[in-house]
Amino acid sequence: MGYSSSLIQRKFKDIVGRRYESVLKEYSEFLLTEEEMLIPEVRSILIPLDLFVHDISDEAIDVLSTYNATISLAYITDARVIELLEQALDHASTEEFRAKKEEYGRELLERTAAKLKGHGITTQTRMFVGHKGDDVVRMAKNYDLVALCRRYADGESTDVSISPTVLRICQRVATPALIY
Amino acid sequence: MEIVALIAVAVFLFTYALIIDERIHRAVAAMLGAAIVVFLGVVSWEGLLQHIDFGTIFLLMGMMIIVNTARGSGLFEYIAIRTTKLAKGSPIRVLILFALVTAVVSAFLDNVTTVLLLTPMLLYVSKVMKLNPVPFLVTEIFASNIGGAATLIGDPPNIMIASSAGLTFNEFLIHLGPIMVVNMVILIGLMYLIYGRSMKVDPGEREEMVRTLNSLDERAAITDRALFRKSVIVIALVVLLFFIHDRIGEILHTFLPFVDPAMGLQPAEVALIGAAILLVWSRQPPEEIFEKIEWPALFFFGGLFVIVGALVETGVIASIASVMVENVGSTGEAMFIVTWFAAIASAIVDNIPLTAAMIPLIHDLGATMDVYPLWWALALGACLGGNGTIIGASANVVVIGIAEREGISITFVDFLKIGMLVLFVTVAVGLGMLWMTFVV
Repeated sequence: MGYSSSLIQRKFKDIVGRRYESVLKEYSEFLLTEEEMLIPEVRSILIPLDLFVHDISDEAIDVLSTYNATISLAYITDARVIELLEQALDHASTEEFRAKKEEYGRELLERTAAKLKGHGITTQTRMFVGHKGDDVVRMAKNYDLVALCRRYADGESTDVSISPTVLRICQRVATPALIY
Repeated sequence: MEIVALIAVAVFLFTYALIIDERIHRAVAAMLGAAIVVFLGVVSWEGLLQHIDFGTIFLLMGMMIIVNTARGSGLFEYIAIRTTKLAKGSPIRVLILFALVTAVVSAFLDNVTTVLLLTPMLLYVSKVMKLNPVPFLVTEIFASNIGGAATLIGDPPNIMIASSAGLTFNEFLIHLGPIMVVNMVILIGLMYLIYGRSMKVDPGEREEMVRTLNSLDERAAITDRALFRKSVIVIALVVLLFFIHDRIGEILHTFLPFVDPAMGLQPAEVALIGAAILLVWSRQPPEEIFEKIEWPALFFFGGLFVIVGALVETGVIASIASVMVENVGSTGEAMFIVTWFAAIASAIVDNIPLTAAMIPLIHDLGATMDVYPLWWALALGACLGGNGTIIGASANVVVIGIAEREGISITFVDFLKIGMLVLFVTVAVGLGMLWMTFVV
């Protein structure tokens, strides 16, 4: 550091003291950091669906449509539920239950894909039996963004809080997550 | 020269050297110098009380209380965000609007606080626009010094001159206001000519920049809505009182007949009244507000007044004045010398001790010539001289200091080239206008 720089810093310290630090702190409350200013490139988005996700809100679609990305809709039936049913019911009843759930899943996938297509968004769909948390964390590695409904894997509770599974997914994924 | 006079000169020069180098805090340097002249009996206790200009110190204190209380409301951040949004993503508009806002705020509040609060926003805007921030920063410095020169309360030299010469707020506005308006137009023109070509944003990215800047929420900057409202009202009231401080008795007498129509308020009284109103009304904890008063700055002023008082008491100032009187033929000539001496000296050394030393000199010149124009010459030179170098004024040091901390380098020579240009042009224009008023 040259004499001019050290002189400026000495004078700055004497004139301003600690006021600059407090000003910076105040500004940091509402100015974006350099990291926040970078707009991430999002080409693929994963949206997990299940029995408790009935729809994608228009606000969420507005945000998702700005990325111009392909959306993969994945309907997941809980493997543990199927296991429990297989233990408790006979094979025919389990298959009937699974067929009903698959039928519901197919309808939801078709309806959601059609709605997204209506907004000019390209979609892919898939349906499988798996673990709603672990499988989403595993699949998320191959996507640029995960969009999670706050009710995903939540049961039929009526409160407005975010489902514990969604929170756990957010804690575990390295991919940016959007909760709608 | 008598030994006490030599001591007074030596202490003044020694203190000045310490202030320039700043290895010791300038307030400590001034107090040390004052301690030496008091200890050696160059200035007596009675003399000490007489030389300390309490008008200056109380005015600074009152304004510090008002500004620091208002700061807590987010008022300055609000102004910065509103200015940013008004620019609508145009670099030239950012430059012009921030220059104007800086000048206006600096005219009524202190320059250091103004640039301290506006600079982070300017850096943010230039980062979003992917532009070199240097043109914005140097323009902000010049605008702050020019704006501060326009009013009695804008810059410490003006406060000191007004307090000592008994000049009013309106006299400053009448004599220096128009000069600074013209100088602001010239400054913006100069900055446009120098930097205009380099201030272009990519048209493809402009929409995204505007969206980012518009996403700033000025309402989010207001941390205390009630305090914000009260601060704006009290600042407006204080500014109004400054306009009428010398005629307050006349105005009050029409409503309150017992008030003496000849009564006037000193600027320091106005500032302290405003501070008291804001403290009572805002109900902010007084301990917190009083802690934020810049005591080192006030002790710096106090120490300087004593050191300069030693020069007065030992006859050093009178000797310099008599030399000037012998060699200066007219008020116009004196105006020319005072303006350019103050301007060039202020670019090199701190303008506060310089003004403190020049004030008794001009008082002494009053025995043989009309010194009224010389007060304006001194204010003009001392305030605008600060634009010359990076250490010429506190605003320069603050902006350059922030820039360095953010990794932006503005070298001494780079600043000198443009600073000296601005100094010579603005001082020449100002002196020309004063000349037209008082000499022609």
